[in-house]
Amino acid sequence: MASIDTPVRPGRRSFTGRRLRPADALLQGVAAIAATSAAVLVGLIAYKLVRDAWPAISRYGIAFVAHDIWDPVANHYGAASFLFGTVLTSVFALAIAGPLAIAIALYLTELAPRALRGPVTALVETLAAIPSVVIGLWGILVLGPFLAHHVEPWLHSALGFIPLFGSPSTGPQSIFTAIVVLTIMILPIVASICRELFLSVPRELKEGALALGTTRWEMIRAVVFPYARGGIAAALILGFGRAIGEAIAVTQVVGGGTIIQANLFSGGDTLASKIAASYQGADSNIQVAALIYLGLILLVFSLVVNLLAQWVVRQFGRGQGAVSRASARVGATA
Amino acid sequence: MKKSLSFAAVLALVAAVAAGMSAAAGARSSDTTITGAGSTFVSPLVQTWQQPVGGALGVTLNYNPIGSGGGIAAITNRTVDFGASDAPLSPDQFSACKGCLQIPWALAATAVLYNVSSVKNLLHMDGPTLAKIFSGEITKWNDPAIVKLNKGVSLPDTTMTTVHRSDGSGTTWNFTDYLSSVSPAWKSKYGVGTSVNWPAGTGGRGSAGVSAVVSQTNGSIGYADVAFALKNHLKYFAMKNSSGKFTTPGLRGILAAASSDQKPDANNALSIVNPPKKFANAYPISTFTYVIVPETSAKAPELKKFLFWAVTKGQTFGPKLLFQPIPKPVLVVAEKTIKKIHT
Repeated sequence: MASIDTPVRPGRRSFTGRRLRPADALLQGVAAIAATSAAVLVGLIAYKLVRDAWPAISRYGIAFVAHDIWDPVANHYGAASFLFGTVLTSVFALAIAGPLAIAIALYLTELAPRALRGPVTALVETLAAIPSVVIGLWGILVLGPFLAHHVEPWLHSALGFIPLFGSPSTGPQSIFTAIVVLTIMILPIVASICRELFLSVPRELKEGALALGTTRWEMIRAVVFPYARGGIAAALILGFGRAIGEAIAVTQVVGGGTIIQANLFSGGDTLASKIAASYQGADSNIQVAALIYLGLILLVFSLVVNLLAQWVVRQFGRGQGAVSRASARVGATA
Repeated sequence: MKKSLSFAAVLALVAAVAAGMSAAAGARSSDTTITGAGSTFVSPLVQTWQQPVGGALGVTLNYNPIGSGGGIAAITNRTVDFGASDAPLSPDQFSACKGCLQIPWALAATAVLYNVSSVKNLLHMDGPTLAKIFSGEITKWNDPAIVKLNKGVSLPDTTMTTVHRSDGSGTTWNFTDYLSSVSPAWKSKYGVGTSVNWPAGTGGRGSAGVSAVVSQTNGSIGYADVAFALKNHLKYFAMKNSSGKFTTPGLRGILAAASSDQKPDANNALSIVNPPKKFANAYPISTFTYVIVPETSAKAPELKKFLFWAVTKGQTFGPKLLFQPIPKPVLVVAEKTIKKIHT
């Protein structure tokens, strides 16, 4: 699976229109099979989800999405609170992780002393290798209590007039803890992609800008960002996708509960964490179907996000146009 | 890029779902291996059995503690040789399981945990108050109802945080079964189940999750099987039983509770929560837990050998983990049921 659109370099010709040699034919065949199998897999998953969720779909219909109840004893199910929790946690996690990750990537490519770049890059990437269950455990035992006793009361007293920062939680679990855990989990992904992007900015453009007398910050703003912004948008969306789908770590720290409230310091639940928490122990067929219905909603939700992402990438990164606009701007600033 | 996002999200989703399925599916393995899955409550006991069963019977025992609900699903789909559940099968589950036998094979209790940093005493609790706490009606540790139960203890003005299992669990079934039997309001509003619609509080994943949250939250109150509570040095309440006596979840209290119901029903289910007054020493949140086996099994000889061993010799491994050996009348019924298994 391709991860990122870097701007298409001119001068690269496509395979089509040329006489196929055996090696080319083989490459084309293998690549086509790989691409098709990914598409087929998504199709099969969607089919399986719809089929297994059918008892719940036919029983609750689309209104399932709007009900905020989850009562396995009376068999009343709805997805609203989980959808709300998924949006809340992933949007906030992205809002915190995005700027941080871009700053890390900038530091590692443009600002840090050369001796630091290697080790720090390695450390940031190691962060991505920590298993979610370990991050979740650390979330309950270390991060959660710290947030509950120090950060949340401080945010509440400073920003308490905003409903989001309501009364602090009493224990280590809250939506807020989940947001911070997700932030930590998506940070290395976004940071390392952005680092690669910034490294791919042609040296002559950067040096040209500096030669024209820009400061380092002006150069970054006028050359690096415009050149990489399509890629940055894609990296952010990739991080967002990770945040939406993360299950285990969130299950451990989010606290659960089906009450929709604005307070970030209260408990909540997300689609993925509800599935992870309840699937094994589900003891009625309709509950299993309702959980799979949640999975289907998650699939549709991430599909929508993906389409939106492609649109955003197309809006932002118009190939080399960005770079020429950038050079024009450098000229203007100078 | 085109496919990568939805694909990444789908992978995450598949991983989440597949983790559940693969664990439940287990592996149907060679003839001398017996594979089981289910209750986490009984798993400490089953784990101590693995070694001696291998030695005495020459049978390899595999057990996958995936939760009671998962165990029922696994044996219904015949992906394991036996399932284990703390909640007896419902009539629907019995008919879905097609020819399954349910055998009581272990006996233990659920402890009600608490963490109030300023209180060193052993605290007392009764059922109706506990139901109100978990309903979110009582929210402070110095509520008159709790003060009345703990005369002479100075209770702080700390907010109570209830901690329940976020995953489906036989412990939750036992706990809510108790709350329903002492509180009509709980019974009608929330009922009994391996997971219920909790009106308040926060959820931890597994007994480990509940205990982590309880130990990190001043003012918290949660529940876990007593073996787990003991192993992790968590404080738990002395619970008031029907006779008015406060009892802790020890072997004596569990045995007294078990003697309240020694006549299994047609499906071998027994109910020993909140036993009547005459069982003066009973700990009120005790439960039998069950093994579920198909009546016809290709591995019938090995399965029978193992189950006979489990309900007799196996029970002697229990007390160390606060599993009370099953009483004689129950043992008789269990052995009679085991004899029905055939190829």
